[in-house]
Amino acid sequence: MEKAISIEIRNLIKYFYEPEKFQVLKGVSFTVNKGEFLSIVGKSGSGKSTLLYVLSTMDTDYEGSLHINGDMLTGKTQNQLAAFRNEHIGFVFQFHYLLPEFSALQNVMLPALKLGKLSVEEIEYKAYESLRLLDLKGQELKNAKRLSGGQQQRVAIARALINSPSVIMGDEPTGNLDTKNSRAVQDIFKQLAQEYGQTIICVTHDPDFANNTDRIIEMQDGLILS
Amino acid sequence: MAKSTNIQIARVHLTSKIGQTFVAVLGVTFGVSMYIFMNSFMNGVNKAQDDLAFRALSHIRIYNQDSRNDYNPIASQVDRTKTVINISNRKSIQYTTGLKNSSAIVSAIKKTTDVVAVSRQVNSNVFFRSGSKQVNGVVSGVELKSEDELYKTAETMIQGEWNNLITYKSGIILGKLLAEKLGLKINNSINVLTSAGVSKNYIVVGIFESNLKTMDETKAYLNIAAARQLIGESSDYASDIMVNIRDRENTVSYIKKIAPLIPYQIESWQEANEQLVAGSELRNIIAIAVSLTILLVAGFGIYNIMTMTINEKIKEIAIMKALGFSGKDIMTIFLTQANVIGIFGAIVGAILGYGISLLINLVPFTIAGMETLPIFFQTQDFLLAVCFGILTTLIAGYLPSRKASKIDPVIIIRG
Repeated sequence: MEKAISIEIRNLIKYFYEPEKFQVLKGVSFTVNKGEFLSIVGKSGSGKSTLLYVLSTMDTDYEGSLHINGDMLTGKTQNQLAAFRNEHIGFVFQFHYLLPEFSALQNVMLPALKLGKLSVEEIEYKAYESLRLLDLKGQELKNAKRLSGGQQQRVAIARALINSPSVIMGDEPTGNLDTKNSRAVQDIFKQLAQEYGQTIICVTHDPDFANNTDRIIEMQDGLILS
Repeated sequence: MAKSTNIQIARVHLTSKIGQTFVAVLGVTFGVSMYIFMNSFMNGVNKAQDDLAFRALSHIRIYNQDSRNDYNPIASQVDRTKTVINISNRKSIQYTTGLKNSSAIVSAIKKTTDVVAVSRQVNSNVFFRSGSKQVNGVVSGVELKSEDELYKTAETMIQGEWNNLITYKSGIILGKLLAEKLGLKINNSINVLTSAGVSKNYIVVGIFESNLKTMDETKAYLNIAAARQLIGESSDYASDIMVNIRDRENTVSYIKKIAPLIPYQIESWQEANEQLVAGSELRNIIAIAVSLTILLVAGFGIYNIMTMTINEKIKEIAIMKALGFSGKDIMTIFLTQANVIGIFGAIVGAILGYGISLLINLVPFTIAGMETLPIFFQTQDFLLAVCFGILTTLIAGYLPSRKASKIDPVIIIRG
């Protein structure tokens, strides 16, 4: 069976202009299949995070083209991209980035409330489920800023899953987790990829994490090594 | 549902830093309440001033004055290109003072709409004499009922009754200071000497106090019939006709309407008392300038607080954008906050302004017949203050909100 293409980038070129003009990405092309669990590795400064932010649709200042689920995303407006992200992309950031004034539960519910496809009750049920899955039972109503770093990161992962996005992206998603929790997250990602066909792309420094994925893309000096 | 999510986020932002919200609300409250207080106070002052002024002032005055000073009886008789004319020491010889056919004018005016009261007066400069004391002043022959309708003169009586002039044909009512100067009390007699040399005795039947010093010092009232008799005029004579109309600001259009009917000079109170108009206009301008300044300062306060809030939340804004909130959503979130602050502050401010005004209204102030500092509420002031308050907040909130909506999430999240 031929696998459907989830993400396709062609000849991606990106410059940084501060402090001086510098080419970060020097023509990167690859495709990611649906349901693939992919990791991007490389030294810092290799352009892997930059690549991820272009894939995430947040960074629009690049040359080349980006397709996700067959949609051409290059050239769309910020608001169109925001709506697209809301429905199709889940994020886990390096520094977890929750909204500190909201409870863990509210943080998880927020993208779904924004999408507005389910009733509040259904969203709440789903959010409780995700939090339980990530071993956060009992922490749901705590303010995000009262949670530990590891807990916050897991809340962020739960938030990334809430809209059942077709693509989940992570920038060091397990960076703040101990081995046990890191394992658990990797298992969840694997399960999501295999059972629900969600595409998962993570930038990581952790070789254990990378080795546990379907494919590793290694970057160096703005180019893909392998 | 997305909309209510934005509002929910705004609510969390507002309630999680309640102190900051409170300060912002206080800014608007202060501006709005001061606006209401300043305007109510100024309105009160203007009203007190007007009430005082219109005790001696009618909206429209009709009188006869010989304004022809260029009449030249020879000019039409000779060829002016060949003749030089010089008339030295020219004098008017056929000039009648006053209004001869006053009742016709009064009935014509009474037929027009918008008239509240019409009253004829016979005014004459005289000397008041009592024993060796002699004071010059004005004696005013009035129609008692309509005069009272015009000026509420009966209310200013401190001794005797206004209507005593009807019963006592040779009665006179004196201003308080005039009576004091002449050393006269009620039921004493007084001699009045006119400019034509006629002298007549009257009995003091009342004393009034208008709180207008010039009036209390120089004025005396007679029955109009007695005044006509004093200066030797016919029964249809009047020196002035005073008219009050429904809205005293409308004198110009009213005068236009009646001018063709009346062959005499017509003067509005605005023309006769430009300083009164200027005074109240200037006070209004000051009130508006001060209260707008206060609102502007409050607006800057809100601008600052909103900018601070947004700078504090810049990471959160970036994260919300990454999660799929659009610039419009972000704008809605922060504008909602500004709006809530504005509406809440404006309503509390209106109540506070009302309260402050009521308190100021209790402060004693006993000059010129007033008892406390004057306050006069107008619904339009409250509406304007609330609107201005909300509008200021909206503008002050709009600029930072727009900035927030344009934040690029990548720059913030990558650090």
